[in-house]
Amino acid sequence: MNEFKIDRRIDLKGVPCPLNFVKTKLTLEGMDAGLILEVLLDDGEPIINVTASVKEEGHQILKVDKIFEHWKLVIKRQ
Amino acid sequence: MEKKIYTDIELQELRTGGIIKQKQKDYFILRTRIPGGYLKADILKKYSAIANKYGRGYVHISIRQGIEIPWVHINNIPKLLKGLKNLGILKGACGPRSRNLVACPGASVCRFGFVDTEKLAKELDTVAFGKDVPKKFKAAITGCLNSCVKPQENDLGFQAQGEPEVDLSKCIGCTLCAKVCEKVCGRGKREPAIVMDKNKQPVYRKGNCFFEGDCIRVCPVGAWKLKKAGFAVYIGGKVGRFPKFGRKIADFVDEKEIPKIIENTICCYNRIAEKGERFGEALERQDIEIIKKEIL
Repeated sequence: MNEFKIDRRIDLKGVPCPLNFVKTKLTLEGMDAGLILEVLLDDGEPIINVTASVKEEGHQILKVDKIFEHWKLVIKRQ
Repeated sequence: MEKKIYTDIELQELRTGGIIKQKQKDYFILRTRIPGGYLKADILKKYSAIANKYGRGYVHISIRQGIEIPWVHINNIPKLLKGLKNLGILKGACGPRSRNLVACPGASVCRFGFVDTEKLAKELDTVAFGKDVPKKFKAAITGCLNSCVKPQENDLGFQAQGEPEVDLSKCIGCTLCAKVCEKVCGRGKREPAIVMDKNKQPVYRKGNCFFEGDCIRVCPVGAWKLKKAGFAVYIGGKVGRFPKFGRKIADFVDEKEIPKIIENTICCYNRIAEKGERFGEALERQDIEIIKKEIL
């Protein structure tokens, strides 16, 4: 099910904290408000920390899905 | 310059007001206090000026969130003390008195904190600081379970707790809350407070909750919210030669109760302890249930 039109995708599998959040943040900052970013993250700390931090930055999280051993985070740039 | 001669009584008075004798003849340390540890940058500049004028151009940051200025000559003490108040610098305490109330950064800036510990520490200074006690009395207030100011190592410690609640209509079933909960509340032999049911909805079991709020922070859609914040109360903690971990006597105490609890605890300490004895040591001879009633 893919109800959101994804404008950008980044694959951060294997990228440790906090670099994964930094890359997510920089990607979001380079996008226009309202556009949608999909991020692939490792299980464990990465999905937890990046989700909490993206929320604190004020962006809207549309979807959090587990795909096999990884996670997909769908974020709307605010 | 003629040297000022202090009597023993005068020296004792100075000690009360945060003047500590150095091992070097005629030199003293000025101990100051910063309730909660937050200090305006402008006042920090004044510390710098004093250290340059009366000390040797440096300060020592104490573990109790105070700044100490060493190398103040005995002849300069009266002049130095006279000017302190106008500069916005608060004197610290030594000897058998209650000490500066310490606090973590708190909710004003920290992502983990439930309460504004900075504001609380400033308000509580008059209740907690400088009271006569048998030995010494230290109080601490910390904004979450991370215990950054180590309330359990203080004679009286307050540790903020947050009870979460979930709005299932907002939940998207991502399971992250259960995931963080398993790491904290479900560590080792414990059972997590949040588990997912077969419809991928979280079920909250309050009895297993640590009240640390990770579920609230991680929830991507704000379905988990803070229901209420309060404080766990620890008494009798100390370090020194015979370290003791404070004992928890209450959960979810309201912020408004804190001044009363501090007053009661200092009063209780004065009642049960012998001169030179710490609260934690005196508590060993007491029935904890009676003490709880007295303090809470």
